[in-house]
Amino acid sequence: MSFALKLVWSLLGVAGAIAYGLIIGGVIRKVMARIQGRIGPPVYQPFIDLFKTLFQRTATQHGIMFYLAPIFRAAGGIGVYLLIPVVIGVPALENFSFAGDLLLVMYFMFFGSLGMALGAAEGGHPHSPIGISRGLSQMTAFELPFALAVVALAADAGSFSIHEIVMAQQGGVLNWNLFANPLAAVAAFIAFLGMNMYAPFNIVGAPQEIPVGPPTEFNSTFLSLLMTGRAIFAVAKMVLFMDLFLGGAHSLVEALVKTFLIYFWSVFVGAVFPRFRTEQSIRFFLGWPTAAGVAAVVLVMLTH
Amino acid sequence: MDNILDRIRDTFGSLWKHEQRADLLQVGVEQRHVLPLLTWLKEHTPYIQLTHLSAVDWIEDGEFQLSYLLTDPVGRRSLMVAARIPREEATADSVHTLWPHAVTSEQEINEMFGIHFPGSPRQGTPFILEGWDDIPPMRRDFDTVEYMDRHHPSRPGREHTDPRAYIGRVVGEKGFLHD
Amino acid sequence: MAKTNLPVLPPEGSRPHAPLGEGCFLGETERQQPLALREALATIKNWFRANSLWVMAYGTGCGAIELRPLTTARFDMERFGMAMRPTPRQSNVLIVSGYLATKSLKRVIRSYEQMPSPKWVVGLGSCTINGGMYWDSYNTINRLDLYLPVDTYIAGCMPRPEALIEGFKGLMDDIKAGRANGWNHYLENMDWYKDNQKRLITDWDLPDYNW
Repeated sequence: MSFALKLVWSLLGVAGAIAYGLIIGGVIRKVMARIQGRIGPPVYQPFIDLFKTLFQRTATQHGIMFYLAPIFRAAGGIGVYLLIPVVIGVPALENFSFAGDLLLVMYFMFFGSLGMALGAAEGGHPHSPIGISRGLSQMTAFELPFALAVVALAADAGSFSIHEIVMAQQGGVLNWNLFANPLAAVAAFIAFLGMNMYAPFNIVGAPQEIPVGPPTEFNSTFLSLLMTGRAIFAVAKMVLFMDLFLGGAHSLVEALVKTFLIYFWSVFVGAVFPRFRTEQSIRFFLGWPTAAGVAAVVLVMLTH
Repeated sequence: MDNILDRIRDTFGSLWKHEQRADLLQVGVEQRHVLPLLTWLKEHTPYIQLTHLSAVDWIEDGEFQLSYLLTDPVGRRSLMVAARIPREEATADSVHTLWPHAVTSEQEINEMFGIHFPGSPRQGTPFILEGWDDIPPMRRDFDTVEYMDRHHPSRPGREHTDPRAYIGRVVGEKGFLHD
Repeated sequence: MAKTNLPVLPPEGSRPHAPLGEGCFLGETERQQPLALREALATIKNWFRANSLWVMAYGTGCGAIELRPLTTARFDMERFGMAMRPTPRQSNVLIVSGYLATKSLKRVIRSYEQMPSPKWVVGLGSCTINGGMYWDSYNTINRLDLYLPVDTYIAGCMPRPEALIEGFKGLMDDIKAGRANGWNHYLENMDWYKDNQKRLITDWDLPDYNW
């Protein structure tokens, strides 16, 4: 497939991923509302919110970094998405997974949050730095078990390329890394809760569609860009976890089903748990999940 | 301390005393006795909590009355200490050294009545009225309707009804609502 | 009574105050676009705006107690797309609920001017219409539309959540029909509004317009 055609398909994939991320957010709101006995907004409500914020006028100016922050975040999300194969075997949906490996994906994830934090600090709001420090320290904490799990998976598959890791899981459900490397799965799925900033790790901002901690000052068009970035980040992380632990997907339907289940893991946990404070969550991440990650690496080293 | 009113009269010389209920006693003293009396009450009697500090404008007598409501939280009874001060150049002793939360009450009374409590912090700083340039509004010679007419215009066509006349028509001479 | 003596400073992080009309931000001023420039998509834009009203969670008076049941299961307002936002930067509707003291009015003006256009003001309760229960108070205003452009009044003391929902539906219909243009009225008659505000608030230590 030529590069130009691949580019077109990948950009369509980005648009589809944004739509998928928004719809899944709407579905979650509807489900939570029904659980609470209400009617809830329509499923396409995030689209209405997105277009409403897009059509608002902005009157603030806070410097260059303030403008660049949502762009960094969206760029991080799109970068992560473009480097992950969504469906194996369909070249149109394989994106540019040959161009980068797992470490580059992790870098893009961190880069998005870092850019966001730098921009929010420029906002002139006195409480933004509090949210930023909480978010970055929590991110540093959950990167540790996630990185250990990634190292374990890469050592098991023999390469850091996501394509290779997916190929190593073919041949039956029991070959999935979820069952073949259970300790790495435990470490990574707990880190996944921290990544999504769902309860119990949503201290960074209030549990709303866009956390109001770092992005307090962002309004109108910036906010719509942030919402888009959040949608695509969520989808990219779900697809990454599907490739790493659930054996990839061979058709679009399979991809949708698996990513939906992964998202619901964080929603179910979030519905049950209250919130941790920042120091409690850092202490938690550096405890059992890190131990599970270390054990996973040791286990892989011993059996190879 | 069942005979606390008598003890106050013997020790400080009260002007009047009144037992409103079994758990609500009232005593009136002179202004110069207020601070020693409250100190003695807080240190040596069960009435240790200052529940309320308010002012009353007795414009006919030309005096303000400061009412200190002290509570005995264990025995669940209250004692009100009332003192009168002249209306011109009104000053009174501050009790913020006994109860720190009295600072807010004294700030409010200073803003609303114009009574000065020397030594109390935050005297003169605005509490609710920012940029106020009229007489303190809780004084009874302040005409709130006239102030409202000057500063807060209503929509044209609004009619004002005098409450006294309206209630007088409804209540009549019997003094209570009747058909 | 001591008067505050603060210097007039713009909000932190922004330029010093420039008169309206100069200093376009992002290539646009907040003035009304001329009719010829109003896009044909105006109907669609207004539909989006009406179906996703974000209310600033600011209870200025006792009427705010009737806003809280709207978020509960019985009178669910999320089904209309409405949500409560904690910051004026991200909200569209400012609800002045109940009486408005002069001290609150200063803060409400600052919050209103910090909201991005298009924005709407809802006067909730009789106190915003003609003074209500506190008509003769030295501390509360009697007519809200002398100081802020009001798009909808909801009468009552206080109106029940059903009345609030009907009021919000009326506001949404006005927005979809293009009739709710309070923010433009504010910008066009800025001198008149500022006159009224400054006559009432004598210790004006805010910028003339709070971006």
